[in-house]
Amino acid sequence: MNQENRPSHPSTLEHPVIWIGVIGGTLGSIVLLDRIAWLALPLILAVVFYYLVHPALVRLQHWGLAPQHSLAIFLVLASLVCVVASLTVLPAMLNSLNQFQSNLPETMQRLTQIASEFLRNIEARFPMAKKADLAEGLQARIDFFAQGKGTQFAGDAALFAFKWLPSLLLVPFLTFFFLRDGTAFHQLILRAVPNAFFEKTLLLFDRMNRQMHAYFRGMFWLTVLDTVTLGLGLWLLGMKDGTFSFQNAMLLGLVCAVFAWVPYVGTAVGGLIAVCVCALQSPHDPQLLLGVVLLFCGVRLLDEFLYTPATVGRALHMHPLVSVMMIFAGGMLGGVYGLLLALPLLGIFTVLGQMFGEIWFDSRLRARHAARNLLEKRLASNDLDL
Amino acid sequence: MSFWNFLRPPPLDPKLKLVGSTAIFQNCTRQELETLRLYLHERHYLAGEIVFDEGEEGEGVYIVASGKFRATRKGMLKKKNLGEILPGECFGEIALLKSSCRLATVVAEEPSVAFAMFRSELERLADARPRLGFKVAVQVARLMSSRLHRFLEGETDTSILS
Repeated sequence: MNQENRPSHPSTLEHPVIWIGVIGGTLGSIVLLDRIAWLALPLILAVVFYYLVHPALVRLQHWGLAPQHSLAIFLVLASLVCVVASLTVLPAMLNSLNQFQSNLPETMQRLTQIASEFLRNIEARFPMAKKADLAEGLQARIDFFAQGKGTQFAGDAALFAFKWLPSLLLVPFLTFFFLRDGTAFHQLILRAVPNAFFEKTLLLFDRMNRQMHAYFRGMFWLTVLDTVTLGLGLWLLGMKDGTFSFQNAMLLGLVCAVFAWVPYVGTAVGGLIAVCVCALQSPHDPQLLLGVVLLFCGVRLLDEFLYTPATVGRALHMHPLVSVMMIFAGGMLGGVYGLLLALPLLGIFTVLGQMFGEIWFDSRLRARHAARNLLEKRLASNDLDL
Repeated sequence: MSFWNFLRPPPLDPKLKLVGSTAIFQNCTRQELETLRLYLHERHYLAGEIVFDEGEEGEGVYIVASGKFRATRKGMLKKKNLGEILPGECFGEIALLKSSCRLATVVAEEPSVAFAMFRSELERLADARPRLGFKVAVQVARLMSSRLHRFLEGETDTSILS
């Protein structure tokens, strides 16, 4: 049958059943991943590492190395980096952490003091705030937290870390097996695909692969852009009083950019961290604090209207309304998990939906598969002399 | 066995030997063929099974490993037989250049095995190894040119095998 003679079907994703399937699949996966979070977290991290490392391994293989040799080279390099990092960066990090721990009570006290002062100023200007007893209320809550809940919170945090540590130890183990057996697994799945659907399935794998690569590449560039914008912004804001060195501003920018991986909530948390750091560095400079808040609002807008559409949005080819709705729905169903995974899962299910539509609505492919089954049956009957 | 045999590389995998003997990959070195191994998808066909249809969107090339395939094309009144495709020959190579409609229907004449190679995978390989990409592209162009000449001279109709 010629292409032009085939009955025309609506473009695959315009079909309502497929749209419902895509949205249902995305939300269902978020709920499922949230339920099995202990296993899902290392799996997701291993997939992320796989997508970050795999292109380098493929490049080595294209240069003529066998897959096992390219993996061995990567493992040796990764081990070397780990050893060098544990000898150089790790002691410095532990030292900083130790210093941070010993300074924590003082830092907390200063932060509380700054926040109380700020609230008292507000109370002095606005009678409504005075009625609400903002400063007193904050102090009471902080005292309550530090005396009772605080110790419980520290215990919970320790238990949380103890619970998640074995799960995180699975990550390198899973990544290794994904890298070692990923290609064989891919071939194994393709071998099970009937001949009639083979080319379409190859196309599906390719599109999914491209979608994942594009998403992670998009996230990488988004992080770089956010880091540079925030880092430069913080550096310029604090330049007058020498609040931040260039390195510290960039480091703070990087931390905030990483927090921004969690849509909406992450930016707010990152902004709060930056405000706290500024408040500690220059407690009597409200202009700086206002500047930082404005900087974060500006970067949020840049993210929404310029950076994300140019990096991740373009990679996933999604309508902004659909992306935002899915992020909110994901957040409601799966919390932070849902916020983080909504977009990549939507990307995967969109491709799956497209391909399912292309195969399901292609009567010729289904007929070809049915013909193959008939040939198999006939062959079996002949063998049995039926 | 001579001592120097120890230094010789092991014999080439028969699969790769076959791929290396096809018109498209005949200029590839041993190392390049070893790289191609990652992208070979082995498919088994029953006698009478359709590999692809005329008019269908093509995504890759097929290299016949064993058995026999037949290519046909719709004519004004009846199907036109374009000929047999035997082991060591390939079909569907136009799909390596772009995603276009298949120009013929290919059916397995007897139980057959073919190696499929996907355009996107080969494109990625060509990005990483431009020399290999260039060799394959030139060979595809030569193959198509020779088929076009034969077709114009009225010798055979195999220009539309792909």
